[in-house]
Amino acid sequence: MTTDWRNSPPAENYGVDELMVTALAEYFQDGEQACNGMASFIPVAAFMLARLTHAPELVWIASSVGLEPRPERIPASTLEAPLWRDSIMYLDQYTDFWNFVLNGRWITKFCVGAAQLDQYGNANNSIIGEDYHHPRVRLPGTAGLADMCSIGKDLYYWNPDHSPRSLVEKVDYISGAGYLDGGNTREQLGLGGGPRAVITNLAVMDFHPQSKRMRLQSVHPGVTVEQVQDATGFELLMPGTDVPETRPPSCEQVRLIREIVDPNDMRKRGMN
Amino acid sequence: MEEKLTTLPGAVSLINDGDVVALQNMATQAAPMALVRELIRQQKRELGLVVLVGGLAVDWLAATGVINHLIGAAVTMEQFGLCQQYRKAVEQGRIKVEELSESLLNARLGAGARNLPFLPSRGAIGTDLIAQNPHNLLMLDDPFGGEPVVACRALVPNVALIHAHRADRFGNIQYEPTAMWPDIAIMPKAAQRIIVSAEEIVDSEVLRRHPEKTILPGFMVDAVVEVPFGAHPTSFYPDYGYDSKFHLDWAAAARDDTAVRNLIERFVLGPENQQQYMDMVGGVETINRIRNWEQPG
Repeated sequence: MTTDWRNSPPAENYGVDELMVTALAEYFQDGEQACNGMASFIPVAAFMLARLTHAPELVWIASSVGLEPRPERIPASTLEAPLWRDSIMYLDQYTDFWNFVLNGRWITKFCVGAAQLDQYGNANNSIIGEDYHHPRVRLPGTAGLADMCSIGKDLYYWNPDHSPRSLVEKVDYISGAGYLDGGNTREQLGLGGGPRAVITNLAVMDFHPQSKRMRLQSVHPGVTVEQVQDATGFELLMPGTDVPETRPPSCEQVRLIREIVDPNDMRKRGMN
Repeated sequence: MEEKLTTLPGAVSLINDGDVVALQNMATQAAPMALVRELIRQQKRELGLVVLVGGLAVDWLAATGVINHLIGAAVTMEQFGLCQQYRKAVEQGRIKVEELSESLLNARLGAGARNLPFLPSRGAIGTDLIAQNPHNLLMLDDPFGGEPVVACRALVPNVALIHAHRADRFGNIQYEPTAMWPDIAIMPKAAQRIIVSAEEIVDSEVLRRHPEKTILPGFMVDAVVEVPFGAHPTSFYPDYGYDSKFHLDWAAAARDDTAVRNLIERFVLGPENQQQYMDMVGGVETINRIRNWEQPG
């Protein structure tokens, strides 16, 4: 499919869900492999959009099972059929998929959602509370997150609800290793990769190269730095210069998302 | 060859109170739900459950007091939300959870299948999962001088429950299109016994036409039962999709113990066989809906 996405002007009418999709898509390039897990509408939309625009050779493994699928649109589950429609291969996950992932040559980036993420990019999808055996809230569990975080992947967190509840000073439980206590504590355990970016409904963050603390990278159009800080449960580092605005989606990107990738608006699920 | 064909009550009677039961299930996909209902009807108690991603089956077993611990990577019904009965039981301390990442669970099961004491993984290093679970996970120096790994102790479930596309009366099991998930690819191979429900029991000659689709040999399998739509309300690719109406009704009721009891009474304890169950959940209309892979809005 050819589109004039390169020369398309910035959109005036778009949703923050669409901005999160385009911001995440920028990180995925030709020649790379991407995979997705459960309830991952924003990443799936980002991969599908990237393949329609700047990264037609991005390899996508739908649900971590279906290689190079051609779904008609994003369905209600990102873990099962019909997302993996028209795949060129069904991976046996126990052998094929986990061999690809653990080998380290392939699938070098991974998109993650987490109930809690802390200032050093440690993630929690396990429990809220003090006592593991009597938690205040039992969350779904780590699934593949704990693996992806410890085997050298570059991690991209998406969070549609930027709040002091989800961005916390210290997670209640580490179910995905970030930079642990900051500085070189992750390296000391021999872990490569790590959190690279956090894309929320308000801003994009990265991590300071030395301290490994979360740092504001850009604020979305119409959002102030103060709003972002107030919605964060710890003090965000600021970039050296003025905080730039996140690039808005182009008209053509918005059209592709709405008409081709996700006409059923699955990406809006979980948005505020 | 030994006959393995039996009934749902006969198959589930092989399971003892206190057993650790490995359950096929990926959120809304492919759980042996007819076998799960029979576990509840026979009032099994103090079972442990091994799941990769448990869904509605876990919520039913939690709501009915069948399980008291769970070994797994996640429990969720994906777009239908968290399993609220399971969640409450864990929060109240009635169900203990041994949480493993997928690679750690796969390693524990792989070791169990091959009669090894453990298999190593690089997953989850730096997380709280390892310190939480010293009985089964330990950091281990690489004897060849590389980076440390996690030693994952062998897990041998007493029994595995799975649902398959077809089987013969001797317990040879076929699956479509491949054994995509570890709950089929490794979980049953680690278990001491395997109980299978299948959409249809066929003559062995039918299996011989496509031996590449056979995933478990009869000598490993202890019991096989014919149960059409035996995975309902979960999906069973490529035969039928998940029943979104059923999942939505359960999710709406799941925080209310009285509503939960009513649904369990109606759908689990009431129907005396699979035909009655399918009639109860909507009969032909539901079958047509799930066969068309209807997509909820």
